Amino acid sequence: MDASGTSRRSFLQASGGTLGMAWLAASWPQVVAAAEHAHQRVSDTADRSKLRLLTPAQARDVDAIASQIVPSGATPGAHEAGVVYFIDQVHAGLWQENAAEFVASLTEFQAKCARHHPGVAQFADLSFDDQTAYLKHLEHTPFFGGMRFLTVLGLLALPSYGGNADKLGWKLVGFVDQHAWQPPFGHYDAGYAGFVPYAKVAEQPS
Amino acid sequence: MSARKFKPDDTVDFVVVGSGAAGGVMARELSQAGFEVLVLEQGPRFTAADFRHDELAYWFNGELTNKLDTNPQTFRKTAADQAQRVTEFPAAWYAPNVGGSSVHFTANFWRFHEVDFDERSRLGAIPGTTFSDWPITYEELEPYYTKVEWEVGVSGLAGASPFDPWRSKPYPMPPLPVKSSGVLLERGARKMGWHPYPAPMAIASVPYKDRAACAHCGFCIGFGCEMQAKSSTLYTMIPEAEATGRCEVRPLSYVSRIETNAAGRATGVAYFDQDRREHFQKARAVVVCANGAETARLLLLSANAKFPDGLANSSGYVGTNLMFNTYAQINALFEHELNEFKSAQVTRVVHDWYDCDPQRGFYGGGGIDSRIGPMPIAWSLFAPPPGRTWGAGFKSLLEALPRAMIVAGHGTSLPLATNRIDLDPELKDAWGLPALRMTYKDHPDDLAMVRYLQDRGVESMHAAGALEVWKEPVAESTGGPHLLGTARMGNDPRTSVVDKYHRSHDIRNLFVCDGSSFVTSGRGQPTMTIQALAFRAGDHIAQFARRGEI
Repeated sequence: MDASGTSRRSFLQASGGTLGMAWLAASWPQVVAAAEHAHQRVSDTADRSKLRLLTPAQARDVDAIASQIVPSGATPGAHEAGVVYFIDQVHAGLWQENAAEFVASLTEFQAKCARHHPGVAQFADLSFDDQTAYLKHLEHTPFFGGMRFLTVLGLLALPSYGGNADKLGWKLVGFVDQHAWQPPFGHYDAGYAGFVPYAKVAEQPS
Repeated sequence: MSARKFKPDDTVDFVVVGSGAAGGVMARELSQAGFEVLVLEQGPRFTAADFRHDELAYWFNGELTNKLDTNPQTFRKTAADQAQRVTEFPAAWYAPNVGGSSVHFTANFWRFHEVDFDERSRLGAIPGTTFSDWPITYEELEPYYTKVEWEVGVSGLAGASPFDPWRSKPYPMPPLPVKSSGVLLERGARKMGWHPYPAPMAIASVPYKDRAACAHCGFCIGFGCEMQAKSSTLYTMIPEAEATGRCEVRPLSYVSRIETNAAGRATGVAYFDQDRREHFQKARAVVVCANGAETARLLLLSANAKFPDGLANSSGYVGTNLMFNTYAQINALFEHELNEFKSAQVTRVVHDWYDCDPQRGFYGGGGIDSRIGPMPIAWSLFAPPPGRTWGAGFKSLLEALPRAMIVAGHGTSLPLATNRIDLDPELKDAWGLPALRMTYKDHPDDLAMVRYLQDRGVESMHAAGALEVWKEPVAESTGGPHLLGTARMGNDPRTSVVDKYHRSHDIRNLFVCDGSSFVTSGRGQPTMTIQALAFRAGDHIAQFARRGEI
């Protein structure tokens, strides 16, 4: 975590060059330390080339359900963000104590789906609209609630957990992970004239 | 001077249980006054370099908060119900680490008002409650509020709120820059004739006392501050205590009981180290600052033959009168981007409903503030209204996040004898100690008040020109991070646990100071007052010790 020229340059690039120099001079060592250690953690170290826990057939259905929750379209959805890899990896690692229960409930979902749709190999093979219609009946079940939870996490958690590939989830919600910002932060504070004390408000002609 | 290291056989002047908002202040005040102080903290010690922008880890994997697998809790609404083991978020939710919950808090830091301390006298009794005056007034606490602002570090604008209590000194730092959510709340509230004002925050808006100014990264609520700009005791009081050379902060030390002798005096505390070996620490006096849930539990866990109902509990009040502060959320979408993921959570507060108004038809007071709640994951999980929780409608809400803000209502909780912390009769923690059991049901006036505030929040957002506004249903409380009232202060030993100097009525050298000391809940955001109480208690306890009155 040294304040080397390289890290200073990369930090300034990352901050979009919007930082005030006076603020930087006052806070520089802390900013460098914070940005450096945080950058190491945020960098995308996930391997999305293989599944660790789910079978390919299970992964297809998980991907299809996640894509119902956050569909693809004009902008990327759960599929493009690699949510299925998050769900796979988190159950193979961080939350492996939940893996058996997750796989069991997924298996039960697949079995029920097969009974409802004779002749269709699995949920992922249904048309998009048929998938939607089928999930409508299940949207208040613990399984679907859990899938929604995992899909949102897979979309928006750090890429190193397996999802949020290329930070597509963050791009979708307009979030930028950065270690320093300066005002204005948004449209409405850009032209803020300053806080007017109430005594002065009363003196203003109406 | 570097931090003190006590030997196992040393008898320290004070052992302080807990290193959070109160414990940190207590450690600094007592060590600076010349006493030897050992602080025992159940959790680890983090540094700024340990903290990261990882919403999953902190919000959904409990990395900074109490662990339900080793420290389980149970919850029930009333004593008639069977308490159930809590499985997701802890009912008593806090950060067990050096600095305590001041590490991960949002840092809202307004003072209580005069009325908070003598409201019972102003309004009269409320049947079915233990609503009481505090044994101290705002006037007695005011110098210590000022001390918090200057010693711990608070940003704000003195005199901005026409409802604020009087003050002897301005804030040491200007308010943080306003965010779009603050501008919009201010716009809407002023149109409604209300008086929004810049939020007082325990975050450095400019470099302060060797700490950097806020970098506006946005990760405050639930996160540790990597800039050390948040005025946690981890960055402020604790290092100053250690710099005296008379204070040791010992992390990973889980206090299991306070021991007393035949004379009824505290002799020290038993605690487990990180390898679960038990030790006994001798002390001339014990100060418990373990938060409004664990303080009560520890006093109850310390029951012995002389004190069969727990220490400091001749009144039977230990653990009772638990209060949280109520909370309500309003979500709003605007036309343009706010980008509320940037900077500190709250920049404007409205306190036009702080005082109780009998014309509303119920007891209570409070306010609203502008913020984005948790970060993207939590907003996406919890904010969408029914019918938009998945599919294209959900995705459009996700894409609207830069244009979203929330208004939070914060209000009073009445003290009730039936709302309490005690020991679960069956469940044990990983050390074999009885688990914490919580019993809590909101008083109907508490829910009525916060719904009233929620409606004002809705009005403010419409007045500000929101495109969409929706309320999150206000549900009955099932726990929270504001843990108040369970060892209340009072002049009467029959109806309180500690006196106005935080000395327990029953044991002369046992002191208790944290959220448990509160007599009423205030209107939300208790940490400022917890720290003012700790500065005041530390001042008096040091005087007692100097005069040989402990």
